[in-house]
Amino acid sequence: MNLRRLLPPARSRSLFLLPVVPAVLAACNKGDAQSTFGTSGPVADTQANLFIFIFWIAVAVFVLVEGALIYSIIRFRRRGSDDSLPDQTHGNNKLEVIWTAIPVLILIAIAIPTVKIIYDQDGPPPDQGPVLDIKVRAHQWWWEVEYPGEDVVTANEIHIPIGQWVNFTMHSDDVIHSFWVPKLAGKMDIVPGDVRQLAMKADEGGMFFGQCAEFCGEAHAKMRFRVKAEEPEAFQDWLDSMRRPPAELVSDDAIAGQKVFTDNCGSCHATNTWQAPGARNERTRLAGLRSAYLDDRNKADGDRTNLIAAPNLTHFGTRDTLGAGLISLTRDNLVEWIADPDDIKEGNRMKELARPYRENTLTSEDVRQLAAYLMELKPVAADAVMEPDDGTAGGTAVERGASTFDSSGCSGCHSTGSDDRLGPGLAGISARQNDDYIRESIINPGAFVVEGFSPVMTETFGDTLSSDELNDLIAYLKTL
Amino acid sequence: MAQATLQGQEQHGNVADTNTGISNRKMLMWVFLASDCLFFGSFIATYLVYRNESLVGPYPNEILDIPVTSISTFVLLMSSLAMVLALNYAQKDRAGLARFWILAVAALGLVFLGFQVVEFTTFVDEGLTIHQNLFGTTFFILTGFHGLHVFVGVLWLLGMAFAHFKGALTSRSAEDLEMAGLYWHFVDIVWIVIFTVIYLIGFSDGEGIETIEHAATIIGG
Amino acid sequence: MTTIAFPTLISRPTSYTGLWSWIGTVDHKRIGTLYGVTAFLYFLVGGIEALIIRGQLAQAESDLVSPEIFNQLFTMHGTTMVFLVVMPMSAAFFNWMVPLMIGARDVAFPRLNAFSYWTFLFGSIFLNLSFFLGGAPDAGWFGYANLTGITYSPGDGVTFWALGLTILGVASLAASFNFVVTILNMRAPGMSLMKMPVFVWMALVTSVLMALAMPIIAVALIQLTLDRVWDTNFFNPAAGGDPVLWQHLFWLFGHPEVYILILPAMGIISEVLPVFSRKPLFGYPAVVFAGAVIGFMGWFVWSHHMFTVGLGPAANSAFAISTMLIAVPTGVKIFNWIATTWGGRLQLNSAMLFSLGFIAMFIVGGLSGVSHASPPTDAQQQDTYYIVAHFHYVLFGGAILGLFAGGFYWWPKMTGKRLGEKLGKWQFWLMLVGFNLTFGPMHWLGMNGMPRRIATYADGLGWEMSNAISSAGALLLALSVLLFIINFIRTTSSRQEPEDDPWDARTLEWSIPSPPPAYNFARIPQVKSLDDFWYTKHPELLHDERGEEAAASAPAEEDTHGGGSIHLPGMSYYPFIVSIGVVIGVAGFMDVLVELPGTNIQFPWLSAVGIVIGMFGLIGWTFEPVSEEGGH
Repeated sequence: MNLRRLLPPARSRSLFLLPVVPAVLAACNKGDAQSTFGTSGPVADTQANLFIFIFWIAVAVFVLVEGALIYSIIRFRRRGSDDSLPDQTHGNNKLEVIWTAIPVLILIAIAIPTVKIIYDQDGPPPDQGPVLDIKVRAHQWWWEVEYPGEDVVTANEIHIPIGQWVNFTMHSDDVIHSFWVPKLAGKMDIVPGDVRQLAMKADEGGMFFGQCAEFCGEAHAKMRFRVKAEEPEAFQDWLDSMRRPPAELVSDDAIAGQKVFTDNCGSCHATNTWQAPGARNERTRLAGLRSAYLDDRNKADGDRTNLIAAPNLTHFGTRDTLGAGLISLTRDNLVEWIADPDDIKEGNRMKELARPYRENTLTSEDVRQLAAYLMELKPVAADAVMEPDDGTAGGTAVERGASTFDSSGCSGCHSTGSDDRLGPGLAGISARQNDDYIRESIINPGAFVVEGFSPVMTETFGDTLSSDELNDLIAYLKTL
Repeated sequence: MAQATLQGQEQHGNVADTNTGISNRKMLMWVFLASDCLFFGSFIATYLVYRNESLVGPYPNEILDIPVTSISTFVLLMSSLAMVLALNYAQKDRAGLARFWILAVAALGLVFLGFQVVEFTTFVDEGLTIHQNLFGTTFFILTGFHGLHVFVGVLWLLGMAFAHFKGALTSRSAEDLEMAGLYWHFVDIVWIVIFTVIYLIGFSDGEGIETIEHAATIIGG
Repeated sequence: MTTIAFPTLISRPTSYTGLWSWIGTVDHKRIGTLYGVTAFLYFLVGGIEALIIRGQLAQAESDLVSPEIFNQLFTMHGTTMVFLVVMPMSAAFFNWMVPLMIGARDVAFPRLNAFSYWTFLFGSIFLNLSFFLGGAPDAGWFGYANLTGITYSPGDGVTFWALGLTILGVASLAASFNFVVTILNMRAPGMSLMKMPVFVWMALVTSVLMALAMPIIAVALIQLTLDRVWDTNFFNPAAGGDPVLWQHLFWLFGHPEVYILILPAMGIISEVLPVFSRKPLFGYPAVVFAGAVIGFMGWFVWSHHMFTVGLGPAANSAFAISTMLIAVPTGVKIFNWIATTWGGRLQLNSAMLFSLGFIAMFIVGGLSGVSHASPPTDAQQQDTYYIVAHFHYVLFGGAILGLFAGGFYWWPKMTGKRLGEKLGKWQFWLMLVGFNLTFGPMHWLGMNGMPRRIATYADGLGWEMSNAISSAGALLLALSVLLFIINFIRTTSSRQEPEDDPWDARTLEWSIPSPPPAYNFARIPQVKSLDDFWYTKHPELLHDERGEEAAASAPAEEDTHGGGSIHLPGMSYYPFIVSIGVVIGVAGFMDVLVELPGTNIQFPWLSAVGIVIGMFGLIGWTFEPVSEEGGH
């Protein structure tokens, strides 16, 4: 774009700011993590350049107009007690025309690059190589991240390759949020019930800070995230690692912690989306948890479980931060977080809604073991994997079905015992119903709704489960 | 012009006393009506934005009864005619006829409201409520606020017919009636717009094309 | 006119002193005083809220207040400053000055005027009661759906907010109707529209904007309330509702509202500058026309508040251009003001300093506004402290400084006493420095990535120093307001000989005694020219400069109806009663619904009580003669 030719590059130019704007600016470092200067990608570069272009025009206007005002005040102030009347001028049409026309010309100079950039930045450029698609779903107050086509799901930390355009497709599951990584691109609001797109590219590596920019409720200030731009190979390694099974747990605490996790956390937090069906069904699992109460407004008043949503924790131990980009992930911080999430992030939904907190059932021993387990949640080394990792191969049909039951999100709502959760307990299902009923209930949940339950099960299992997976699943269910 | 200006203007607005030649009260009414335009305009815009956006039925094409509503629309139109007659007779000092036509306007307004009550009840019986879908929400609230305006107008006219019972509906107080008339005609015109938007344009509105996609968005496809 | 005799429901107030005389007053000057005092008290409330906000943000990771409280504070700070300070303070000046400046004895509808005030007062009390009844609103002054829905804001705070603003909207509408009619209909003979003072012009434009904008926010608030109370779907995405509709309705109101806030202050300084420059306003027709154009174009720029919502490139481009265009008439005003001072004899007293400060600060706000009129740069600025800085330069540096200018300028007219100049100048300089310390660094904070409305921020992002400076500046601002209070007390308790025209001013309000008698003008003036009073005092100027006959010096038309017969509208309790009815009626939609037997309709029974009270008042109002002598 031609604006660039008119102006020196952004970095050197932002130094010009220093003499103009006094000590406040001087104290600042353009390398500040969320600064809109010192940008690292073409979208933010262009935006910063346009700002600086407007800024200098504004400085010129400012100096001229304020100068005229101050000059007039000093020059024409009353001296002594001179009460004589000055010249009684009433106006001047020529002047009116001039000071109407000049601002118009200045604004045209600003409007032309503005409109050009608006259109340039509407989506990734078509001619700069393949575009990486990433789906972001905003929640109060964290970010769900999915790499469609890659069967990878994660939360709050977004890995992207350097030098490749990335197109974010964004949804919100609750209220309006705004996705903002200042170093890479200006923000885009995410409106529930609708989709938003935002394209950006990182020209250099680094950990870029992001933050929700639209007020979204109590913990809005702590809805942060990170974008980690890596060399393409490192990015690919990361993607691969997210599809490998977890490494063997080492410490006794971690092994004990796994049990605590399954009993207390597993119905909301997934850790197993390294398996492809699990990743594909992450959405279904969360939607099932959430939409359960959306239609049921009476329940919504008294029971805010419709706000349920929980970050995916697969290979959690590899992350850098916790609590949606709040603090670095260390064992001590994690213990503190699990012990009382409100201490770190007041208003968070886990403290408010999760049973272990409502009923205060976690002992400090549990917390310690949970932290140990989560810190050890890492993928096995690349050379340790023998089997293809799509989670469908190996074992008997029943074993495969059991795996699907967990990884596809069934276990989020259905107990394998006789206790009812969101959905009915499934123990003894084969005694009650035949194969066709079970199959139809999975593919088309609206067909048979057991009395006393809301018709909330999502209708996407027919799409996300292959027919083999479905057969295995039914085989497993019949053993219950 | 100095003396007695204020009370004169507030109470019966002697035309000669104002800069514009329009009495204060009448101008107040015009400003109010301009303001009310934006009020209805916002509700009508809301209705238009949500046309064909309902996710579940009943949809307009399944439930709107155009012939019946055409009758009630005709009734309301006729009430405006009666309003014109009432004002005409009042200005000619024929108080009896003026009162007759005022009562006719009020009666026609009540008939219109009766139609609306029947319509609302029928719709609710058929499953359309204010929380059923977007159509229900926007339809009931828009037409409901219009009905409220008609109801206020009826009260106003009845009040006027009885307060002026002692033969005072003459040219001297014709401006009182003219104000009510302005309001009534405005409410009538608003109904023409609402009738056009909801019943005439929207009579074939059914399940929206975007509905399916929209549902998919919400579920998170 | 004869109507049937209607029994007097409540005997009308007769005493002109004491509490009941205030409750029953219909005098535009007393109502103006009520507006002013109330607005100033809310200025202190909103200021205290701001101080707590600045206290919290003074350092990183602060926990002075919880996020819950913080969200309530910034919501109520914005709501208070917009609806309970700047708007009613402007209304105070409208009430006091518009009738005086157009040579009228009162507004067109004195009782409606009283009704506006009482409804405003009760609405504001209702809104603030939320602090004590389960938590204040906490979804922002803009109340974006669907965060305001019952699911995400289950408490009563947002309902208080929606209903409170609805009540305030009723008050604003009534006031705006009143002033449109007053200004169009009640000007003194000879005062054509283009001979009206600029302040009156701006009052007219503001009133028209209010009359047309308030219904839009009323509809949005009704929809929100119905969503919350009766489960409608206006902003419910689960039923296909679109939260962006709220934003369109809100900003379609909200942008004209910005001009509702700033135009009165622009009008004030257009009066102050010529008086203390001792020369006429430069380019009167241009200033008037620019104001009207701003009022008109203000309707076509609302989506610039929504550049990051994702409306698409076409909409963003269109609104970018319309937004840039509106800078042109704003610039015209600024240039004409500067030209007014050019070549004058500037008397730099407090009123003049505040007016000049307005221009200086408004330029900054206008220029930063241009930088987010451009959507690509706004993408980085939207919802950051850069925006906070921008609109405080416009609304504090603009509106608040302008209103203080009006206060210092008209104080002698309203009370017969001048506010202390020394304290006034101290206040100005402290305020100017404190203001720039508070809001200047916010420009940088925003560009450095600090979002708005965050209750806390992390260490190490480079925001600590700027925030600390900003919070220190806020203390200076508080100090400057304290100086005004001291000045007020000292002036009120001082003894001064009232002067009718202490500034050698230009407009009609200075032609009558200070403070003005209840009837304002013993004789309604005959107006011959713009700044008629000035040319009455300086007839040679009119003759010299315009080559016209020095007709302005002609004595006003004699009051041919004889002395002692000025009839003022009688006092009335009914506006007060109707206001109570309105507030109770609207408040009925709070959590006090009962199910109608046989249906599932949640009925607001308290509203029915309010309607009965309101009807009682309205009937009494209708049949109460305007003045004690009875109908004419």
